[in-house]
Amino acid sequence: MVAHVLRLRIALLLGALRGTPVQVVRRVVLLVVVIAVVVLASWSLITMQDAPTRVLFVVTVAGGSAITLGFAVAPLVGGTVDQLDPRRFALFGVQPLKLAAILALASLVSIPTAALLVVAIAAAVAWTAHGVPVVVAAIGVVLGVLTCALVARLCMALSAWAARGRRPRESWGLVVLIVLGILVPFVIFLASLEWRGRVPEQLTDVAAALGATPLGAAWAYPGLVATDAASAGLAFIVAIVTLVVVGGAWVGVVRHAVTTPDRPVAARDRGGLGWFALLPGTPTGAVAARSLIYWLTDRRYLVNVLVVPVAAFIMVPPLLIAGVPPAVVALVPAPFIALLLGWLPHNDIAYDSSAVWMHVASGMRGIADRVGRLAPVLLIGVPVLAIAIFVGVWAHGDWSALAPTIGVCASLFLSGLGLSSIASAVAPYAVSRPGESPFRQPQRTGTTGATSPAFVFFGAAILSIPAFWWAWLSLTSSPDSAQLALWGGIGIGVGVLLVGLGIGSFAFERRGGRIMEFAEST
Amino acid sequence: MDESVAVEELVIDEPLAADEPVAADESVVADEPVVVDEPVIEEPLVDDVPVAHIDPDPIDVIEIAAELAPAPAPAGVAALTLRGISKSFGSTRAVDELDLTVPAGAFYGIVGPNGAGKTTTLSMIAGLLRPDRGSIEVAGIDAVARPAQAKRLMGVLPDRLRTFDRLTGRQLLHYYGVLRGLAPAVVASRSADLARAFDLTDSLGRVVSDYSAGMVKKIMLAGAMIHSPRVLVLDEPFESVDPVSSATILDILSAYVAHGGTVILSSHGMELVERVCTRVAVLVAGQVLAEGAVDEVRGELTLEQRFIELAGGPGDVEGLEWLHTFSD
Repeated sequence: MVAHVLRLRIALLLGALRGTPVQVVRRVVLLVVVIAVVVLASWSLITMQDAPTRVLFVVTVAGGSAITLGFAVAPLVGGTVDQLDPRRFALFGVQPLKLAAILALASLVSIPTAALLVVAIAAAVAWTAHGVPVVVAAIGVVLGVLTCALVARLCMALSAWAARGRRPRESWGLVVLIVLGILVPFVIFLASLEWRGRVPEQLTDVAAALGATPLGAAWAYPGLVATDAASAGLAFIVAIVTLVVVGGAWVGVVRHAVTTPDRPVAARDRGGLGWFALLPGTPTGAVAARSLIYWLTDRRYLVNVLVVPVAAFIMVPPLLIAGVPPAVVALVPAPFIALLLGWLPHNDIAYDSSAVWMHVASGMRGIADRVGRLAPVLLIGVPVLAIAIFVGVWAHGDWSALAPTIGVCASLFLSGLGLSSIASAVAPYAVSRPGESPFRQPQRTGTTGATSPAFVFFGAAILSIPAFWWAWLSLTSSPDSAQLALWGGIGIGVGVLLVGLGIGSFAFERRGGRIMEFAEST
Repeated sequence: MDESVAVEELVIDEPLAADEPVAADESVVADEPVVVDEPVIEEPLVDDVPVAHIDPDPIDVIEIAAELAPAPAPAGVAALTLRGISKSFGSTRAVDELDLTVPAGAFYGIVGPNGAGKTTTLSMIAGLLRPDRGSIEVAGIDAVARPAQAKRLMGVLPDRLRTFDRLTGRQLLHYYGVLRGLAPAVVASRSADLARAFDLTDSLGRVVSDYSAGMVKKIMLAGAMIHSPRVLVLDEPFESVDPVSSATILDILSAYVAHGGTVILSSHGMELVERVCTRVAVLVAGQVLAEGAVDEVRGELTLEQRFIELAGGPGDVEGLEWLHTFSD
């Protein structure tokens, strides 16, 4: 069986070079690129034999962790067909444990794993020049490559299990948002460090921290043996435990795959559902998907979203002209954006117009409506805030302001969302109708004008006063209160959000009739 | 819809027809769709519907209605009981001390002149409006005290309310189903069935705002049925629907009623109400002026004549004499 599967695997690899000329050319070009990258990486690693130990450590651990993460994420977002799907082997009657081992072995015969192996060996060669025993370096290579291969197997199986059938193209939008939210702050952070031909202190700390996590432990092990024997033991244990846990999970997945029947109903056509297919098939998920479609296509929402950054940066020049130090002004836009983003959904129900009857008539839980409606603003808001905060603190110049700024922004954003959840169920006010120009002033019947915008805006600001105070303390007198500002701010935000969601869902369930009267009158 | 699809459905889903050896023969079935029509429809009710045979795809329609129709309500419990319902908007009293009982399994029509309070009444039944006074019971559940449970039993088609028309037809049906707590897989299969029955299959991928008024009506009706409710509350279901589609809708509704479901609808079309409804209520100025089986209500007259009589008649057209002398 082992020989069969391995032969199949090799045949599949060679089969990639058959097909139409265009496909073959594309694959060959890809292969050449991979080989070039591998050669380049290996060569640079081997030339690092004379580099300082610290630099080599940072490069191997940070690079290795990133590669491990890549092996985990690529199957989840790639959406390729898994040739070694355990389900395909279910009918051969192999013991699950044996099948798991065979497939894990077969997965080592792949181009990514081969490329990784070459680079890992190059790193090991570099480490032996730094006085690491050959055996230790070899163990590091084996641990790292095995972990990557198994993680990829596991994530491949999980992604096949989570998203049967074709992936909607909206998932790419989600991936891009997440990558932006993580990558941009990271790049800003890297760029802000003082390089000048050496590795900054902060990066060494990051590498050391990564070395104690499942992502980097296997890669850090040889380097730690050379520098810090005590931590080396810890890294070794973490790496072994990671391997065992991932391997165990893989065996479990294989066992599940070969012993449970595929549910053919679930494989039925979910195409054409867009966001609905991507988000869970619950009322909350459906409301979230519907809100997302509206936020992304309806000009009325788009205008609201676009106004946020404009409004935030429009107040920078006046402050500068007024003589406020630029370092202080730099910290103003991010909290203001947080406040505006939290304030955005305060009239969400009104934008549905009378279509909100579907929610009322379905007898759905209020909490599903409330939480689902926050999905778009969370999805847009979190990456935007991450970028705004990092840009602001970078412009400010002192990274110790990061924690308090995050705390203040979290407090403003989340408590704004909480108050918005109440306001949109309790006091919706007329807006321009679907399809009308977003700038058109709606006709109002009655004088119950808009107090809810002010309530949410100032309410969120007032509730965040403690976070502001702690942040002020940490920036001026006591740097110790930075942590207090961070966690206190997040705590206030989460607390207000939860209370707001609770009150909002109660109001939504109780006031269905009032909401409909409002919706029909506008 | 091509014949081969219908035949496939027939062979797979209809053991009754598969008993006959000829039914499996594609050409025979394709030539005589009516043969399949007869053994399935047994209820005398459908005989009231002369248009039943226009329908292009009778198998699907009956099948879907049978699948959607709920088990009959516990004996003796009315599908809907309204007691002393009142609703005012400002100083106008839209519904005034209204009493209404709809027995389970009824095909119930509410007719009335413009502004008689039909939509307000149906909105209150559907839980979209809260009555100022009075009680509403849906299959024995107090809809004012326990709205969530009552709403679960009802499928609603409102008139003149928007829908989320930036969604495609498929997304909208999914939304209807999932909000009702159905699993996505169930929604997908029922959406396909409903789309076939309402002849919307080719339009499911299009955005609902591009639909014609009749198609919007149909997809909203399909959405109202997707969770197989016990009671269907339909406000003007036939307005702006073409004759072929309204025949299809009538078929579906009749089969739904025949399998124990209850339909309550409002309409301006007296002739249609007279033809399909088993019971009828005449609503004028927020009050029920006549109620009962269609034959009882209309008496010797047609329903339209009786309705005009109850609603105050054409009146004496006075004060328009200037209209009778032309000014050119």
